[in-house]
Amino acid sequence: VVTEERLPYAPYPSPSGTAVAPTPSASPHTSGPWFLARTNLGVLIDLLREDGRTVIGPTVADGAIVYDEITSVDQLPAGIGDEQAPGRYGLIDHHDRRVFDYTVGPISPKRWTFPATVPLNVGRRDGRAVSFEPAEIDPPRLALLGVRACELAAMGIQDRVFLGGPYTDEDYRARRRNALVVAVNCTTASSTCFCTSMGTGPEVRGGYDLALTELDEGFVIRAGTPEGADLIARLPVRSADAGQMFRAAEAVGKTAATIGDPVPTAGLHDRLLAQFDSPEWANIAERCLSCANCTMVCPTCFCSSVVQRSDLDGDVSTSERVWDFCFTAGFARVAGGNFRSRPRDRYRQWLTHKFATWVDQFGTFGCVGCGRCITWCPVGIDIRAELLTIAPPLAARPEPVRPRPVAATPGYYATARIVAVRPETNDVTTLTIGDVDPAFLAGEFGQFAMVAVPAFPPLPISISRFGRDTIDLTIRAAGPATAAIIGLGPRDEIGLRGPLGTSWPIERAMGHDVVIVTGGIGLAPLRPLIDGLLAQRDRFDDIRIYYGARTPSDQLYREELRGWAARGDIDVQLTVDRAGPEWTGPVGVVTHLFDRAEWNGSRSLAFVCGPERMMEATVEALEVRDLAPDRIFVTLERHMECGIGLCGHCQTGRLFVCRDGPVFSLAQVGDIFGREGI
Amino acid sequence: MTSVAARPRLRVGVAKFASCDGCQLTLLDLEDELLALAERFEVVEFPEASTLRSAGPYDVLLVEGAISTPDQAAEIVELRHQAKMLVTIGACASYGGIQALRNWSSHDAFRDAVYAHPEYIESLDTATPVSDHVKVDAELHGCPISPEQLREVLVSVAVGRRPQIREEAVCLECKRKGAVCVMVAQGIPCLGPVTQSGCGALCPSFGRGCYGCFGPREQANTSSLARSFVYRGRDGTEVSRLFAGFTGWSLPFREVIRAYGGPPGMTGDVSGPAAAKDHRNGSEPEGMEGVGDARG
Repeated sequence: VVTEERLPYAPYPSPSGTAVAPTPSASPHTSGPWFLARTNLGVLIDLLREDGRTVIGPTVADGAIVYDEITSVDQLPAGIGDEQAPGRYGLIDHHDRRVFDYTVGPISPKRWTFPATVPLNVGRRDGRAVSFEPAEIDPPRLALLGVRACELAAMGIQDRVFLGGPYTDEDYRARRRNALVVAVNCTTASSTCFCTSMGTGPEVRGGYDLALTELDEGFVIRAGTPEGADLIARLPVRSADAGQMFRAAEAVGKTAATIGDPVPTAGLHDRLLAQFDSPEWANIAERCLSCANCTMVCPTCFCSSVVQRSDLDGDVSTSERVWDFCFTAGFARVAGGNFRSRPRDRYRQWLTHKFATWVDQFGTFGCVGCGRCITWCPVGIDIRAELLTIAPPLAARPEPVRPRPVAATPGYYATARIVAVRPETNDVTTLTIGDVDPAFLAGEFGQFAMVAVPAFPPLPISISRFGRDTIDLTIRAAGPATAAIIGLGPRDEIGLRGPLGTSWPIERAMGHDVVIVTGGIGLAPLRPLIDGLLAQRDRFDDIRIYYGARTPSDQLYREELRGWAARGDIDVQLTVDRAGPEWTGPVGVVTHLFDRAEWNGSRSLAFVCGPERMMEATVEALEVRDLAPDRIFVTLERHMECGIGLCGHCQTGRLFVCRDGPVFSLAQVGDIFGREGI
Repeated sequence: MTSVAARPRLRVGVAKFASCDGCQLTLLDLEDELLALAERFEVVEFPEASTLRSAGPYDVLLVEGAISTPDQAAEIVELRHQAKMLVTIGACASYGGIQALRNWSSHDAFRDAVYAHPEYIESLDTATPVSDHVKVDAELHGCPISPEQLREVLVSVAVGRRPQIREEAVCLECKRKGAVCVMVAQGIPCLGPVTQSGCGALCPSFGRGCYGCFGPREQANTSSLARSFVYRGRDGTEVSRLFAGFTGWSLPFREVIRAYGGPPGMTGDVSGPAAAKDHRNGSEPEGMEGVGDARG
């Protein structure tokens, strides 16, 4: 319930990425928290209805969890969850009784505070006189049940737009005033969520009448307003105990940790407005349908048009306000032309409004990080990936948080146990390592480990797979130390430090084509990346893998290569330097594989790993295809001893390969890449 | 009652070529206002409703059907001379309709297979939209057309303003209704994002993908939508079948059909024999400038 004196009343995302909660933090009615048993949730719905409110709550319809009118607790989505990805939404069965164990569906509370169609007036002409009769504003008394933190923040943003002055929307004001809000803290997250980056969730921080956190046995419940406190007084609640409060806070904290910080917002306003002429807008327009689904599911988009219907004489006409959006043809049209005729113009208008010009107009971002525009885009355009591509985070930003390595200091080792040994070729073997420190399992694609057995110098070895509780190390016998490690068998122990170094930036490739070019054992550090790409196949456009080996028997992971090729949704091309009688494929250097291929590099990110000469030739071939140096990633190999930039061996130019690499963008190493003697 | 009603009634004609008559019947579907319409419009030619025949000239001529025979090709030119305003009604007249599928294939082979005495059949190699033959002032899309849009065109002529027909995707009608996207939630391929609205999102509201009856909307990015069908596991044959429907001969749909190997089951040169004749510039046909947002 919204009152005049505290508008805007919900927390909203500030341009610095932290939430601003204008409501007073402490007031008498916020005492508690209380505990409401699961069996008594229905009492809350009954009370709201007794108070003359129509209850709008989550329910399953047409394969999704949507907001709609509910009259009974049985209509809530008990045991139903959702799975979301760019362009994809599906329901899953949790086999439990939880009713809020999903994130956000296609419909937001906006549908009730800013409906898709609202009558405006009836105009009449009588002879020479005209009159306009405004439509009566008499919205229903509502209770919005299940509202999430991001949705509350969106209401706060629309409050500022419609009620922040100097002119206000009276229809919106009346609907907001009539809507009681029962909010729910998120105890689960979707892959599309980024409320943490926008500073809006997953925890509600004001703007609600009641707030619930769901536990197995019931709900921790708080009041945020006198109306909420009045409801609690009528509910069969008891004080929440310390264990319940702890578990509630822990569940919400875990949700935040799951989401992380996918969209660094520092400086985003200026970064984006500097990119009006970016060629990326045209790239997006190749995929964008300008169908406006993103804007319609957005809980903050507020644009509209007026449509009229007149009688046959033009004497009586009714006007309605309908949702309209910057993606439709008529939106920016005037007599004689259209200011934004091209889809690229419309997408730019939308994105720059959400993350830049909205700030200038209303003092907040126009995005709350609910992820609806990602899920409900028919072609899966991911706004997070587009932001990272168009307005990359500032170079001066703090380094992304890498998993903290175990036994970082030279001298220390964590022991682990070999569980399987698999020969790959004559001289290459893959060890599967179990009992590893969890730090390794949280490693990133492309990172390496320092591997040691007593009496031999430690070796940097790329992690060639991240299993559920194991990692793979693929090692070529190149000297006594590698031979000693390869010679070990199952149940033998080894010492590990790591994971260390930089990784392939898979997140930057989302929504783009991916080109992987590799030779020989260079496939090993790329295999986790390929695993990661295939695990989320629909987040990437075309994926192409080009792999060269000396002879067919020198190919690593031969069965997996066949499996990848057989999937049909990626392009796998193999070549060898010297063919045997059984080889019917191409012979020659790996770059020949894509000499004649028809793909455009400007939409691609390339990941390259192999012998240095092969990488040089590859980089040249990629640059011919318009791949900018900041979109080509290579590895450098140098002598490494410590793995953490303290021993000095691997210095090349201004870089320590172990600490600043081994994965580099070509833009980082262009001046030394391929140069002898550095 | 008003000055408008005092004007002489406008002469309206309805002409029909290769079509099913469903669109002209839409005129009769305006039952609530038929009498009021009759006060302002004199329907002088309407073969589906009346045996009364009258030659032009017409203030408004509604044209249904594709041009499919040499006689029709001659008749539409003659009718154009008699019509102040020529409005095509429906997918056949605006895009060639389902019968334009034959444009991808051998006309003679079809004719010989279907008719016992093909020598009596005199038809063109292609079924083409009216705008391939004469200037069109406005197009009403759909299979069939929307009664509301037909009413809006007639009212706008009577009142003397531009018709207010929104140029937007079917998705807008779908989401305004609160329907859940069938493509995202159920993986059902849907032409809604590239199709002009007007049907009230009829098929998606019942859990079906859009068939594209209203034809390509302005700036229809059909190639991106087609790629997304492939990502969702559809093969090229299915993709071209989806686009090769009632408005498959529209240029943006035709490009996808061609790229994915032609309509399933159609033989012959998939580049399309009538392609060379096409003089339409993508999704904005000539004569469309009068149809659109009233603020234009």
